[in-house]
Amino acid sequence: MGWRDFQRKVKRQFSEAMELPGDVVLDLPKIIMVGNIQLFIENHRGIIEYTTEGVRVSVGEGEVTVIGENLMLRNILPDELCVEGKIRSLSFL
Amino acid sequence: MVLFRLMSALLGYVEILVTGKAPERFVNMAASRGIYLWDITRVREGAVLLKVRLGAVKALRHIARRTNCRFHFERRVGFPFLYKRLLRRKALALGVLFFLGALYFLSSFVWFIEVKGAERLAVHEVLGAAAEAGLNRGMPKWRVEPGRVEAALEEKLPLVAWAGVYIKGAKVTIEVAERVVPDAEDNRPSHIIATKAGLVKDVLVLSGYPAVKEGDTVSPGQVLISGEIPPLEEPPKPGEEQKQGEEADKSKKPSRFVHARGIVRARVWYDGYGEAKIVETGRRLTGRSETRVSIKFKGKEIILSGDQNIPYELYETETFVKTIPQWRNLEVPVELVTIKYFEAAEYREELGIEGARSLAGERALAEVAGLVPEEAGVVNRSLEEVQTGYPENIVRVKVTVETIEEIGAERLFKP
Repeated sequence: MGWRDFQRKVKRQFSEAMELPGDVVLDLPKIIMVGNIQLFIENHRGIIEYTTEGVRVSVGEGEVTVIGENLMLRNILPDELCVEGKIRSLSFL
Repeated sequence: MVLFRLMSALLGYVEILVTGKAPERFVNMAASRGIYLWDITRVREGAVLLKVRLGAVKALRHIARRTNCRFHFERRVGFPFLYKRLLRRKALALGVLFFLGALYFLSSFVWFIEVKGAERLAVHEVLGAAAEAGLNRGMPKWRVEPGRVEAALEEKLPLVAWAGVYIKGAKVTIEVAERVVPDAEDNRPSHIIATKAGLVKDVLVLSGYPAVKEGDTVSPGQVLISGEIPPLEEPPKPGEEQKQGEEADKSKKPSRFVHARGIVRARVWYDGYGEAKIVETGRRLTGRSETRVSIKFKGKEIILSGDQNIPYELYETETFVKTIPQWRNLEVPVELVTIKYFEAAEYREELGIEGARSLAGERALAEVAGLVPEEAGVVNRSLEEVQTGYPENIVRVKVTVETIEEIGAERLFKP
């Protein structure tokens, strides 16, 4: 168990103990989906790839992949983005 | 979001096509620098269409260079572009200016004059007086002097107690308050005559000559206060008694004619009659009812709701028939028949002689009450049973109401 894993564990335990939301303490993305038509990602780190069939978004560690049809980036802000279209799947890498 | 769209339209935004190897990097960098991008769509490989506010375009040039992308404008939307386009169209700008100028110029005239508060005065009288004082339709507003017009109106129209002139926009409002002038007195000769038969109780003469005195019986139409005042008869002086005979014709002055005024109050009697049965029998509704709805089709009746046989022994019915309105010569032989059955019952009520008498009295008084005027003071009421001599199932009561009321009415006459 490396130093980073230990750090993460401490943080997680701390956030659980203090009942603080994980996205604030652990720097995790907060993802909100409205049916399969809209998807909000807060706390993102930028877009890695964007096509109409798939969007890859970098988050704290790793990335989130959204696959669907006619995808469109509704808006993009430094820490929030919104994807619209027909969403098929959402996966973490 | 709606507010944001509105602001964008106001401040102006552009739709740009970003082309390059990695448009994602362009988007990322713009977003991380706080540039708001929206409606990002991929057109093809390495080309992205996006919208951005006009104010942020300058910063995008720098980002494009850094990310090896190029962009060019596809569409320009918003007020700033509209304004630019307008500046190019000189004639339109001139037209707008001309319109505003004309609006301002035309609004500096009096277009409407409204008169308020003129009830007995005719509106054209007020307008005429105002025109003389220099307030006409179509004149420029700055030439109107409200103070002068007000003074002129008050001076020229004696009926106006106060006048106010207000200018609001292209409309001038003239407000007048009218003076209350008492009506001219009616001085045509007239009598006061009796409207009802009665016994005179008191006579108050304001003008005229009393024709009746207290205690007189009068009949309708009789003169109570005469409008003809006979000349005063001077009592003969003791020393001139023999002269009186010959001078009598000379001293006969013509009588004066006046508009008689006065109050004549008299006792007036009203008679009424009422009767009631000692034992009343009859039929009345109990309040229970039953409804039957049926459809009639070529003489056949189909009951839709309600009992097949009527549950009451005695009843009254009310029938409503609904037919489909005839169209051209097509007639549908179907009728919707609604019958309401009201249950009735025989009743027998024994009032007794006393009860019947009071009921008859009430009926008689009710009959009289319609005749007696409201302002009349009722002095006496007397009820009297009418005896027929043989026993019967009916009580008859006669009532006499005595009132004191004014019976005079004006009637003009030609002297």
